[in-house]
Amino acid sequence: LSRMGLSEIVNSLLLSAEPDHQAQPFDFIVDGELVRMPLHQFLLAKGISAERVLELEYIKAVAPRKQEPPLPHDDWVSAVDGSNPSFILTGCYDGLARIWKDAAECTQVLEGHSGAITSASFINKGVETDGSLHVVTGSKDRSLRLFKFDTSVTIGSSKRIGAYKILPGHTSSIQSIAVDPSRNMICSASWDTTIKLWAVEGSEEDSDTVSVKKRRMNSDASGPEESQLEGSASSTLLGHTQCVSSVAWPEQRTIYSASWDHSVRQWDAQTGRETWNMFCGKALNCLDCGGEGSSLIAAGGSDPVLRVWDPRKPGTTAPIFQFSSHSSWISACKWHPSSWFHLISSSFDGKVMLWDLRTAWPLASVDSHKDKVLCADWWKGDSVISGGADSKLCISSGVEIA
Amino acid sequence: RTTTTTRSAPAPPLTPSTFYLALMGCPCCRRRHRCRSRTVARALAPTPTPTAWRRRMMPRRKRATPPRTRLRRGTPSGTCRSSGTRTRSTSVTTSQRGRSRSGTGRAESTASSAAKITMMTGTRLKIWDDYNAEEVKITKEEAKIISRMMKGKTPHANVDPYPDYVDWFEYADKGHPLSNAPEPKRRFVPSKWEQKKVVKLVRAIRKGWIKFDKPKDEPNYYLLWGDDTDTADNKRQGLSYIPAPKPNLPGHEESYNPSVEYIPTQEEIDNYQLMYEEDRPKFIPRRFESLRSVPAYEKALREGFDRCLDLYLCPRTRKKRINIDPESLKPKLPSKKDLRPYPRTCYLEFKGHGGPVTSLSVEATGQWIASGSSDGTIRVWEVETGRCLKVFNVGADVHHISWNPSPERPILAAIVGRDLLLLNAEVGDEETQVRTKELLHVGEPTPEDDGDKKPAVRWVNNDKFDGITLIHHRAASTVEWHSKGDYFTTVVPTGESRAVLLHQLSKKHSHHPFRKLPGLPVAAVFHPTQKMFFVATKKFVQVYDLQKAEVVKKLESGLREISSISIHPGGDNVIVGSKDGKLCWFDTDLSTRPYKMLKNHSKDITSVTFHRRYPLFASSSEDCTAHVFHGMVYADLNQNPLIVPLEILRGHLSSDRRGVLDCKFHPRQPWLFTAGADSMIRLYCD
Repeated sequence: LSRMGLSEIVNSLLLSAEPDHQAQPFDFIVDGELVRMPLHQFLLAKGISAERVLELEYIKAVAPRKQEPPLPHDDWVSAVDGSNPSFILTGCYDGLARIWKDAAECTQVLEGHSGAITSASFINKGVETDGSLHVVTGSKDRSLRLFKFDTSVTIGSSKRIGAYKILPGHTSSIQSIAVDPSRNMICSASWDTTIKLWAVEGSEEDSDTVSVKKRRMNSDASGPEESQLEGSASSTLLGHTQCVSSVAWPEQRTIYSASWDHSVRQWDAQTGRETWNMFCGKALNCLDCGGEGSSLIAAGGSDPVLRVWDPRKPGTTAPIFQFSSHSSWISACKWHPSSWFHLISSSFDGKVMLWDLRTAWPLASVDSHKDKVLCADWWKGDSVISGGADSKLCISSGVEIA
Repeated sequence: RTTTTTRSAPAPPLTPSTFYLALMGCPCCRRRHRCRSRTVARALAPTPTPTAWRRRMMPRRKRATPPRTRLRRGTPSGTCRSSGTRTRSTSVTTSQRGRSRSGTGRAESTASSAAKITMMTGTRLKIWDDYNAEEVKITKEEAKIISRMMKGKTPHANVDPYPDYVDWFEYADKGHPLSNAPEPKRRFVPSKWEQKKVVKLVRAIRKGWIKFDKPKDEPNYYLLWGDDTDTADNKRQGLSYIPAPKPNLPGHEESYNPSVEYIPTQEEIDNYQLMYEEDRPKFIPRRFESLRSVPAYEKALREGFDRCLDLYLCPRTRKKRINIDPESLKPKLPSKKDLRPYPRTCYLEFKGHGGPVTSLSVEATGQWIASGSSDGTIRVWEVETGRCLKVFNVGADVHHISWNPSPERPILAAIVGRDLLLLNAEVGDEETQVRTKELLHVGEPTPEDDGDKKPAVRWVNNDKFDGITLIHHRAASTVEWHSKGDYFTTVVPTGESRAVLLHQLSKKHSHHPFRKLPGLPVAAVFHPTQKMFFVATKKFVQVYDLQKAEVVKKLESGLREISSISIHPGGDNVIVGSKDGKLCWFDTDLSTRPYKMLKNHSKDITSVTFHRRYPLFASSSEDCTAHVFHGMVYADLNQNPLIVPLEILRGHLSSDRRGVLDCKFHPRQPWLFTAGADSMIRLYCD
């Protein structure tokens, strides 16, 4: 009796209860663990006596059910943000960030970077302030740019927008950016081993107090000349010895960073001090915080294993979960915005995998990419979006997570 | 006196069968009448007393009359095979046996003869003997005996079965002794002779003639025919005795006449023929009527011959064989798990070149790599994604490429065609770019004062790539930077006295300090920390002191042709790869000869390299593999470097009989880049 047989039983029971029930696959949980093999094997593997009454909890199987048509780009898609339910933000290796409305059409092109965009993020995630959304992008040209775009743009024309603010200061390419939960600060991680914190609004309000800030005309911007602001970092977090590849800002006070120096560090955002340092033995490429109370850290790097640590556990650096179904480097990992158990990871082997903490097997594997997958994110809570080296943004929708 | 013993049980009643037995003989032997009569008599007689025993032991008296007609008591034993102490119960057994056998007319005749006897009792004393077919007359005494027996009494009338007990020994003391003479005096006086004897013994003890703790006499006999193989003094000097294995004891099936269940059926014998020769049973039981009919051993001749052959061909000297566990000969190496991290698996491939990738170099921070190929391009790649950032189409074969080790100077030095090209890699921030551009600009070329001779190197601006071309007088082969990033060296193998050139980037100046070299130079490298310089020629490695401009050491490799050289970051250890697939590790403090020679590749080694942070080194070869080793150099000078082979990295394909052309470690991670002739660059990670 395997998952399929159990699903059939549940479906027939449900059908008898309500006649218009649609048959669908289910997953089954025994003692907080998903059943991924025939039931007798599961009992043998877990050492559960066959005499006992087995309590099976059934949930809807989590898997993408539909592949949306991919969104074409001009170059490798290196960054994606799906935190806004109506827009998708993508960053591309041609230096342009794009806004896609409803996963169908590119409404805005955010230009200005001279190097490949490595990360992009909405600043005001779901909420619109006076009909416009703010976006920050980090690039290999060592700068961050802040964009503002109007949400009420008619579909059909892709409008080119320049940055209203540039944040230079890093001496090497920016690898990752994160926006704090209160939407006032941005932190950026760079190849120059530093993490810099930037204020989003500060320079506009009291422009005179910022000494470095200067006003200059953007000469190379096409179209009407527009003014650009420059800001400087409010603080710099020093401590990593190699490229800082990823940052996450789950709570107001704490920043997590992963680096190629094989460490994951926790920083106090206010004081800029390092509060926790964990050595993991592999160069890390991506990091995300989530899980129960967003306290678990998932990170992947230069090996095909996605690891999850619990920083609350004292005195141990052993990961509490390890997911090793990928066959190449892991390029991105993201927790589900609401579920404690689900996360996705993308890898250079061209796969995006959907994981559940309650089983070591992947729930689903999306093979729609032809080449390396560079970035992945959740969108609207029920879709997985991923961009890769085949210059496409793939959208797998229909992931029902209760 | 013979019959005085008490009998606990009365005499058994005479049944017709016992009586028949008495007359017709014992069925066990059926030989003589004497036997028959004796059996009956014994059956009827009381338990033999000691006297009866004695009488039985006495020789039998011959009797004139044939005794078969008479029933006698206590006939002496002799002829019957059944044992002499047979009692009534035995005879009953025999009777039963007789009864069981009687299935024919014999039983009827038995019954009829018994009836006859009862009829004739008292009157006519005649009886018919079937066996001898004659009539037997019975005397009156015999008839009396028979009648008494039939009544269950003792056969003889004067035998009292219950006599009174008579005690034959007297216990009461008789009044008179044998002699009434008084005891002599000598019985009470101490003996003079005894005293003398004691004095003698005492003296002997005092003088030590008598010893009490005498050593035991060793027995002076020996085993004449005994088994002497085990005793140590009988060990032979030459061939040591190897006892033959003990054969198993023969079982029932090996009897000449085994039970039927041991005999295989014909079907089983046929099955043996289908079996393999080895599996077939060696011995098949057979039955013979008697031992006499057992044939001679059929393989006797064959086995005798084999045995003789064995003895003839047996080696006369014992071979000395040393039993050494091959595992124990292996050096004690740490396990590979403890030596992690080291590159193991290929996770990234850098695809894009259109020809064999001849050389690659990693930027100082490890963010980019540059590769040169025979397709006339130099490519700059991003390590973390494997994306090609830039392509410089230089238009000629790129033989060697080297990234400036200083992070502030993103300059590529490449041997393109026969000259050296310095390129701005265009990575890094604006300030660096400006400085690099300034650096890569040659002012007005000052004409050298050589006059008659063509200068070794001319520095010329390259407008196409905003770089500098160093035009060499002959074709250059390799370029190597100093760790500070200002000096670099090029090797011109055919340059004779101007073969190894030193260049200074900031001053745009070149010179050639090494005039005499022992052979054609192959490669030249700077010491990582000190002002030393290593030049590898085809057979030797020369170590120069750059300040004193003299040879410090000359390392003799013993290789046919050196192809590559790499210096340990500590500076005291050098590895050298050769074109015959051998790798030499030199400890320059230890000796000028190789500390270890590793023959690990089947084809030419193309490149050897040390890791800058981890204790790792690697070699790449034309046999499409790269080998990774653990090479630990200890700070303690007494401890030799530890070399452990770790991993063979495969994956490159052979193209035009060329394999892996270059390998370089990532400067900060335990990763290895390999450039293959299959126009691919692979990154092996831990």
